[in-house]
Amino acid sequence: MSHVAHASADVGQEALRQDAALYVRRTLRSGQKIAHDGDVIVLGDVHAGAEIKAAGDVLVFGHLRGMVHAGADGSDGAMVCAWRLEPVQLRIGHVIARPPDVHEDVPDAPEIARVEQGQVIIERAVRPEDGRMARG
Amino acid sequence: MGEVIVITSGKGGVGKTTTTANLGVALAQLGLKTCLVDADIGLRNLDVVLGLENRIVYDLVDVVEGFCRLRQALIRDKRLEGLNLLPAAQTKDKTSVTPEQMRTVTEELRQEFDYVLVDSPAGIEQGFKNAIAGADRALIVATPEVASVRDADRIIGLLEAAEIPPARLIVNRLRPGMVRKGDMMSVDDIVDILAIDLIGVVPEDELIVVTTNRGEPAALSHESRAGEAYRQIARRVRGEEVPFAEMDEPAGFFGRLRRIFGQA
Ligand SMILES: Nc1ncnc2c1ncn2[C@@H]1O[C@H](COP(=O)(O)OP(=O)(O)O)[C@@H](O)[C@H]1O
Ligand SMILES: [Mg+2]
Repeated sequence: MSHVAHASADVGQEALRQDAALYVRRTLRSGQKIAHDGDVIVLGDVHAGAEIKAAGDVLVFGHLRGMVHAGADGSDGAMVCAWRLEPVQLRIGHVIARPPDVHEDVPDAPEIARVEQGQVIIERAVRPEDGRMARG
Repeated sequence: MGEVIVITSGKGGVGKTTTTANLGVALAQLGLKTCLVDADIGLRNLDVVLGLENRIVYDLVDVVEGFCRLRQALIRDKRLEGLNLLPAAQTKDKTSVTPEQMRTVTEELRQEFDYVLVDSPAGIEQGFKNAIAGADRALIVATPEVASVRDADRIIGLLEAAEIPPARLIVNRLRPGMVRKGDMMSVDDIVDILAIDLIGVVPEDELIVVTTNRGEPAALSHESRAGEAYRQIARRVRGEEVPFAEMDEPAGFFGRLRRIFGQA
């Protein structure tokens, strides 16, 4: 416990989410839904037809092809990160977005989606130029 | 003790009954004692596909309600040693059998047979729950269509929730020419979406329609390509390693750094 208290002092309150994240250790298939009041972490794929609704961020350690709403309590600052980001639709805070109609190949790399000037933008989670996380 | 395998799909008309009949024939041809159970109560047609309609005296509901013993309801196929059918009732509805009763029936059948194949109805309601109740494992039938694959995914999720071990996939009605032209999903596409192991690919085959109408499953003849596919599946069901034909798939790598999603 004292470790946590120290970490909290060291990195600042904003970077530490104290509310419990929901950890889903399986693949979500069509028709399966998850709703959670904090962040959601999935170790598995999220198939087309599956849905995740989270008040916080959504991290998918797998292929995301379903529908995700991050920041579902209205927070545009939330983000969605997936090893392969290929959702049918993405919602972050108040913004609802969908992939372009013309088929794009999805990069073979983790990506992050977030809201920038009212628009959902997707970028590599790891910047190829320096190997650092695109965020932070 | 034999194994109980449910043949299911979610969507209707994708080939569950065709698969049950032909896989049953192919397993019996391998010398295995096989019983096919028609769990599609109210819409029976496994008996018609097998050409055994005119031999039905008792059915699954009669067994469950105690009107006859299980053995009395079984129909032995005279063309093929080892192939048996437990028919469904056409006049009753799906609620006339409970999952618990279904489990009792399949338990009894597995004492006597090497394989018990259960033909599931479409949907995810009571009839589906009955069909999976006594199953040790499942074979999922999907055609190369988005709706079929999506329903299959839903069914796999329900099977996982019911703690039936990982299902295996049969892709039915594949038309390689259409896949080559990019007009049909490939087997690799489907396997990638569903993330389960493939157990066989059955091509679109006119002989299926002809033989189904005659009540002689395609696997009985050696002219049908679909029949050959079912014979391979039977060997894989039994645990043999049967190589799959090469399936081509272009690999895509993409170098874009930043993309934008538009308004929904
Ligand atoms: N590989 C195939 N080639 C051609 N026709 C097929 C094939 N598989 C199934 N069919 C046809 O599709 C229809 C539906 O098949 P069926 O097995 O009754 O589906 P289900 O039991 O899933 O509802 C039938 O008319 C059948 O003859
Ligand atoms: Mg059927």
